[in-house]
Amino acid sequence: MTDFVEYIEASCKGLSEGRLTYLYKRSVLDGMKQRAKELLRTGLTDEKVISDLIINEYGDLKASYDTFVKKQKQKERAHIMKYALPIGGVVALLLIFIAYFTVSRFTYAWDKTWLIIVGGIFAMIIFYFSLAIKKLCTMGHIFRTAARVLIAGCVMLLSVFIFLCLLMLLPENTVTWPALPLGVALMLLCDLAFSYATKQKFRTISFFVYMPAVAAMAYIVLAAYGVVSWAGGWPVVLVGLVADLAYIFAVLAYNMKYFVYRQEADE
Amino acid sequence: MAKRLNAELWDKMHYLFRDFNDRMVHVEFSYDFVPDIDALRTVFICAFEKAPVLHSRFVDTRLSTHWEIMPYSIDEVFTVSYPENLRQAADEFLTQYIPPESDLQMKAALFIKDGKSILCIIENHMCMDGGDLKYFLQAFCENYTAYVEKGISPVDFRTGSRSYADVYSGFSRTEAGVAQRLFRNINARDDHRFPLTADNIRDASFIARKKFSEDTLDKLKAKGKELGATINELLLAAYFYSVYELAGYDSGDTVMISNAIDLRRHMDSVEDKGFTNHTSWMQCAIPERGKDIFETVRYVVKSSNRFKKDKFMGLYGLPLLNFGYNFLPHAVSEEIIKIGYSNPLMAMSNIGVLNGKHFALCGNEPADAFMSGAVKYKPFVLLTVTTYKKVITLSMCVRGNDEDKRIVDDFFGLMEKNIEALIG
Repeated sequence: MTDFVEYIEASCKGLSEGRLTYLYKRSVLDGMKQRAKELLRTGLTDEKVISDLIINEYGDLKASYDTFVKKQKQKERAHIMKYALPIGGVVALLLIFIAYFTVSRFTYAWDKTWLIIVGGIFAMIIFYFSLAIKKLCTMGHIFRTAARVLIAGCVMLLSVFIFLCLLMLLPENTVTWPALPLGVALMLLCDLAFSYATKQKFRTISFFVYMPAVAAMAYIVLAAYGVVSWAGGWPVVLVGLVADLAYIFAVLAYNMKYFVYRQEADE
Repeated sequence: MAKRLNAELWDKMHYLFRDFNDRMVHVEFSYDFVPDIDALRTVFICAFEKAPVLHSRFVDTRLSTHWEIMPYSIDEVFTVSYPENLRQAADEFLTQYIPPESDLQMKAALFIKDGKSILCIIENHMCMDGGDLKYFLQAFCENYTAYVEKGISPVDFRTGSRSYADVYSGFSRTEAGVAQRLFRNINARDDHRFPLTADNIRDASFIARKKFSEDTLDKLKAKGKELGATINELLLAAYFYSVYELAGYDSGDTVMISNAIDLRRHMDSVEDKGFTNHTSWMQCAIPERGKDIFETVRYVVKSSNRFKKDKFMGLYGLPLLNFGYNFLPHAVSEEIIKIGYSNPLMAMSNIGVLNGKHFALCGNEPADAFMSGAVKYKPFVLLTVTTYKKVITLSMCVRGNDEDKRIVDDFFGLMEKNIEALIG
């Protein structure tokens, strides 16, 4: 054990003295002692070998110190967030209601100011979802699916809020419902972007499925605003299929150019 | 909760081979002295600690697979005994089987008699192949010597990634891209089989060996130079020629024998890699027996040259296997892979030259050294070739009966006859 203490002290020379450094040294020492017990159970009796083996396993302590500090800070941040999030949530709700009553009191637009409550609550949900997405992205690959669901939720909340705003703020008879299919298209595109950015499995299949769906939504929106007619605008839907085909050909051409091995040609 | 290790592609593939062989790799070193038993125990523990897969159990949940690191005691790993008959004790030890679900994947024994000793090691092929086992044994012996002679702790064992994808590390980015798209399965089927008897519940594992005289190697080298063939190709030609005769195939039949190839040839360095498998098959086919063994040699050289010219030799189908194992539940992927994969009925693995200096314990080189592949279940056979101190040893590990032993001995007799004919 003295060996371990001396090794830790020697390896950590130069690190600033402080609580974090102490905690690090203590955790390393505890880990080493635990490991020594495990090795004794295997039947290893030579103390020098035990000590050398463990020291060899731990390697560069200064390099792992940075990881330890990072983890400690994350822990501290998580500890603060544990209290900050619920308290912040209550405070935010209070502020939303105060804003709602204040604006309503001065404008007397009670029929429209409820948007402040809806928008505020939606913003809070999107904020909490964003935190969850960030956390999920640091976890295993499998948790990315949950992150994708939350991203879709955020986009839909945003589009619903935009739809409600348009509905309440624009003159009557204005076509506002296309905000919803637009939201669906945006949701699919965001999911696709996330899939490619995080290299999700089956992202190519997602591309093939999403593109026609996005094109269909575009057709609905364009037709709703009269850019194309309902009867004659259907070729817009085909754009999705064209995008799929273009993607297939692009990938094939790229692979054929760079990644096809012809042994005979090589010879 | 027990610590886990990833089950890598080759671990899963060798697990799939459970229907074809017992997956045990055998090592036997005979020394004319008795090593320090406590030192051996210490070195074994250090080796196991550096390669945790050796004290892990393989877990198959049907959905996925992984290794679970298990506690162990050195007494379970390494045993010492003083038998009356060294040969018999060594053979009994070597023909045992370690199930992948057991807590240990390697076992060793030291048999001592009259100042001589035999160190036997068996290991699950799922953990490492012959190439890495050779390195492991070399590191083991070097660590032992340094520990006993200089008191240096035996901690100098390689550790690192066990991933199959390391095989692409020696390629440029574009070449690696090409190799990772070699989905094509080039595995061909051949129904010609080694003429062993039918399976029987009374069958037991045995290791048949045949040693050649010291001058055989030199003569083979000279003949190889003359014919433009490697020793491996000459031995393969003799294998082909002998098996035609033994099994009575029609001389016009096309016969195929798979030859194990080390995929480390594609890698830059293995220094930072863990113990694992990087072995694939090269299917060597000859269109007919040939009018004499020299013609068979020409066929073999022609067939293996085609593989040698291939920049990506042995890498075909790996991306497909990886895709199968990654995207499907384990049980489903196994069933699908079984459809496309045909295990070679006849194969050869040339482990190569065992350098006595590498396996010396405190300067005591082994008087004899031997390594062999897994015990194959009928009708599959694997001929293993090792060379130690210029002596070529052929071995075949079979689960069979006395009749099978006789057939294998006949085969070795034919091999000897044909090699003699070859080297004149």
